[in-house]
Amino acid sequence: MPRYTLNVNGQNYTINPSSGEMPLLWALRDLVGLTGTKYGCGIEVCGACTVLVNGQPEKSCNMSVSEAAGRKIMTVEGLAADPVGQKVQAAWIAHQVPQCGFCQSGMLMAATGAVKAGHHGAEIAHEIDNICVCGTYGRIKQACQGL
Amino acid sequence: MKDHVNTVPEGDLPAGSLGRRAFLQGATAGLILPFAFGLTNRAAQAAAATPTMIGAYIRIAPDNTVTVVIGSTEMGQGIMTGLAQLVAEELQLNWAQVRGEHAPASALWPNPYGNPIFGAQLTGGSTSMMGWYMPMRTAGAIVRDTLLAAAATKYGGVWSLGQGGTVTDGAVSHRFAELLDVAATITPPSTATIGTTTRFIGKTMKRLDVPAKVNGSAVFGMDVKVPGMLFGAVVHCPTLGGTVRTMPAKPANATLVNLTNAVGVVAADTWTAMNVARSIQSRIVWNLPADTSSTDSAQLDALGQSLLTSTTATPFIGEQAGNPDPNSATTHIDATYSLPFLIHAAMEVMNCTASVTADACEIWAPTQGQQFVAPTVQALTGLTPDKVTVHTTFLGGGFGRKIETDYIGQAVLMSQAVGRPVKLIWSREQDFTRDMYRPKALIRVQAGANAEKAMTHLVYRNVSASINLQRGYTDSQNPEDTGALAGAIGMAYNIPNRRIEFLALAPCDVPLGYWRSVGESYNTFAVESAIDELALAAGLDPLAFRKTTMGGPNADPRAIGVMNAVQTLSGWGSALPAGRARGVAFLKGFGSYIAVVAEVSKSRAGEIQVNRFYAAIDCGTVVNPGQVTYQMQGGLLHGLSAAMWHQQTFVHGKAQVSNFNRYPIIRMGQVPDIQVKLVASTAAPGGVGETGVPCVAPAIANAWARLTGVRLRSLPFYPGRTMGDA
Ligand code: FES
Ligand code: FES
Repeated sequence: MPRYTLNVNGQNYTINPSSGEMPLLWALRDLVGLTGTKYGCGIEVCGACTVLVNGQPEKSCNMSVSEAAGRKIMTVEGLAADPVGQKVQAAWIAHQVPQCGFCQSGMLMAATGAVKAGHHGAEIAHEIDNICVCGTYGRIKQACQGL
Repeated sequence: MKDHVNTVPEGDLPAGSLGRRAFLQGATAGLILPFAFGLTNRAAQAAAATPTMIGAYIRIAPDNTVTVVIGSTEMGQGIMTGLAQLVAEELQLNWAQVRGEHAPASALWPNPYGNPIFGAQLTGGSTSMMGWYMPMRTAGAIVRDTLLAAAATKYGGVWSLGQGGTVTDGAVSHRFAELLDVAATITPPSTATIGTTTRFIGKTMKRLDVPAKVNGSAVFGMDVKVPGMLFGAVVHCPTLGGTVRTMPAKPANATLVNLTNAVGVVAADTWTAMNVARSIQSRIVWNLPADTSSTDSAQLDALGQSLLTSTTATPFIGEQAGNPDPNSATTHIDATYSLPFLIHAAMEVMNCTASVTADACEIWAPTQGQQFVAPTVQALTGLTPDKVTVHTTFLGGGFGRKIETDYIGQAVLMSQAVGRPVKLIWSREQDFTRDMYRPKALIRVQAGANAEKAMTHLVYRNVSASINLQRGYTDSQNPEDTGALAGAIGMAYNIPNRRIEFLALAPCDVPLGYWRSVGESYNTFAVESAIDELALAAGLDPLAFRKTTMGGPNADPRAIGVMNAVQTLSGWGSALPAGRARGVAFLKGFGSYIAVVAEVSKSRAGEIQVNRFYAAIDCGTVVNPGQVTYQMQGGLLHGLSAAMWHQQTFVHGKAQVSNFNRYPIIRMGQVPDIQVKLVASTAAPGGVGETGVPCVAPAIANAWARLTGVRLRSLPFYPGRTMGDA
C-alpha cells in the first residue's frame, strides 16, 4: 500500500490508503479520523466536503490523496486555531446559522476561504455555491455581513 | 412485488401502539406518560459524585449541569433546544448549565420516550412540541418538587426554587448537585403543577447543538467511530423489485453480503467499499420482475388518468356533505393537477453503524424511528429487544426517510456476516434511486361559485399511490388511506356541498414513504390552486374569496387570523412594480394555520422568478420564536426547490435521477426575500416542521396565473433541469 503524509490543520498524518487515487474526503474521514468534513454527493455539486487546500476552498471529494499530499489542508476542526476561522465560527454562532448542520462544515470552509481571499460582507456569501437543503441561506448571508 | 425486505410490519408494534400509520393522521392515543416508568432515580445510587437521573428525562450532574433527555430526534428542527427550554423553565436554570441528549431506544411499553400523542418513539408528523410540551414541563415540575423534598429531608425546614439550579430557604441556598444523594432515595410525585414564569418559553434561546455544528464535533450517523469497525457500501438492484440470483465472485479487498434486493460490500474504508459496489454492479445476476408496469412512471400516469375519470371504480369517500350539484353554480372549474414522485434528498445519505455479536446488537443510527429498530434487529437475528442498544446520532436532515429501517437492517446483516462492527454508508446514487418516495398524485377538482360569489360545491378526486395499501396496513375505519387526503378533508373552508374521494393508484410498486408534509404536500397544491382558479373565473379577489369561504357560522378565527396577517404583511392589494404579481395559499394542518404569499416576476428567460415570500403562521404557543421562523424559512425554500425542479421518474422500474446534479437545490444567489409573521396565540402548541412546505407551489402558481394568465397545474414547473441550468 502506498504511503502518504497529509498535513491537516498543522499536523502531519501518515496514512496508507489502498491507492493514491483515494479522494481526500475519505482519507480524512476514514484514515485520519477527522469526520467534520462531510460526504454529500461525491460529484462536486453540493460543497459539503469543502476544505481549504493552501488556503483555497476545494471540494475534497474530487481531490486525490496524492494531489493533496504536500499541501496545507485545513478542515472544520482546524477553524478554532485560525484567526479568520475563529471569526467565521463566531459569526455562525451569533446568527445561529445551522439547522441540521450537515452542510455547515462546507459552508464555514467556503466562507473562511472567501475571507482569506480578501472578500468582505455580501461578497463572501456571493462566493458560496454550496447547497443547504435545510435552507439556512438567509442567516449565512447575515453572518457574512459582519465579516 | 414488495420491495421492503427490512421494513417492520405494523403488526410487530407493541399492542396499543398506533404506529407509523396513525401518527400521520393525527390520532391521539391518550396515553398517560409514565414519568419514571421502569427507570428510577435510583439508577445512580446515593453517591453525590455521580450524575443522577430523576425520572426518565432529567439528569443532574455533580457540576450542577442539567441534561434533558429527549425522546424526539434532533434533525435540524431544534427540538433538543425547545424541549430543554421547557425543563429550564420549570427548574429556573441558567441556560449555560443546560445540556441535551437523545434518549436511548426503549424496549418498554408504554415507552417513556414515545411521543405521548401516539405512543411510539419516533419523530414525525410535526408532533414533537405538540406531544411533549406538557409532559416535559410536568417532568421538570416533578423534579423540582423532588429536589425541594430532598432539601427538606436533608436540611429541614421549607425550601423553594432559587435561580440557576438552586434551592433556597430565604437565607441559605444549595445547588441541586448537593441534593442528589437524598433525591435518589425519594420517590418522585406522580405529577406536579407547572410554573407560571416565561424566562425561557417564548424566547429565542440559543441552540444547544450549534457550537458542535460549527467545529466539526457534532456526531452525525456517518461520523460514528467504533473500535474495530469496517466500512460498508451497498448496491441495490437497479430495477425495482429485482432480487439477487447469483452473487459475483468475492473480490480480494472486500466481503460481499447478499441482502436479497441488494449486495452489501464490506471493506477497509468507505471509498474502497463504494468502488467495489460500483464495479460489481454488472456482475451481479438479478432475478428481474417480468412485468414493470407498476414501477413505470408513464404507465402509472396512464393508469392514473383513467382512474381520474373512471365511473366504474369505487372511490373511498373521505368526506361528504350536502349535494354537490353543479347546477347550483354560475361559475365552474374542472381542473386536473399532477404531482411527481419526490426524493427525500436529505443532505446526509442513509447510513448506519451496527455491531452484532451472538448475544447482543448495538446500533448507531441517524434514526427518526427508534421504535422500529429493535423489532427489525429481532426479525433478522432473533435477538430480543432487551439485547438491542440503539444510539441516536444527530441527523443531517430526515424529512421522513429516516423513520424507515431498511438501511439499519442492512448494516445488521453486514456486521453479522463479517463478525465486526460495520459502518454502512449509501452512496448518493443509492440514496436517490432507493428512496421511499413521496407518492405520485393526480387530482381532479370540480367546483363552482354562485352569483352571490359564494362557493357552491366541491367534487375532489385524489388518485395517488398509497403508502398504506403498499404496506398492507389495514384498518376497518380507514380501509384505504385518509392520510392520502390530508389537506383536502377537515379544511377550514366551509363548503356546504362537497365530496372528497380517494382512489389508490394501484398497483404501484415504487417504494413509498412519508415525505415532509405527506398528504398535504400534494392536496394543498390542488385545493389552493383550484380555489384560486375559481376566484379568478368568478372575477373575485383570491384572498378575499378565501376569507369569505372560511366565513359563516362555523368560521375558524385562527384561519381568518393568518389570512389577515398575511394580507397586511404582504401589502396585498397595494400596487406592485410593473411585471410583478402576488399569489396566496393557505393551509390548516399539523395543528397549525399558515398563509403564504409569493411575489413573482418573469425572468429574462421568461421563467418564474420568485422575488418574495410572506408567511403568517399561527402555531399556538410558541416555545422558541427563532426556531419557528427558521422552520418556516427552511420549509418555504424546500417547497420552492421541489416546486421548481424536483421529480423522480421510473422507466421500467429504473429510477432516472441519481444525484443532486439533476435534483437542483436552490442556492445562495437565488433565494428570495422571506418575511415570516408569527401570529400570537395562547392555543396549545402546533407543528412547524412540515407546515412551511405545502403552500409554496400553489402560491407560486397562483401568482404566475395573475402575472401571465397561464395556469400551471403540473409539478415541477421546470422538469429535467440540472444544477447548472436551474
Ligand atoms: S461531496 Fe464533494 S461536492 Fe458534494
Ligand atoms: S443546515 Fe441542514 S443542510 Fe444545511
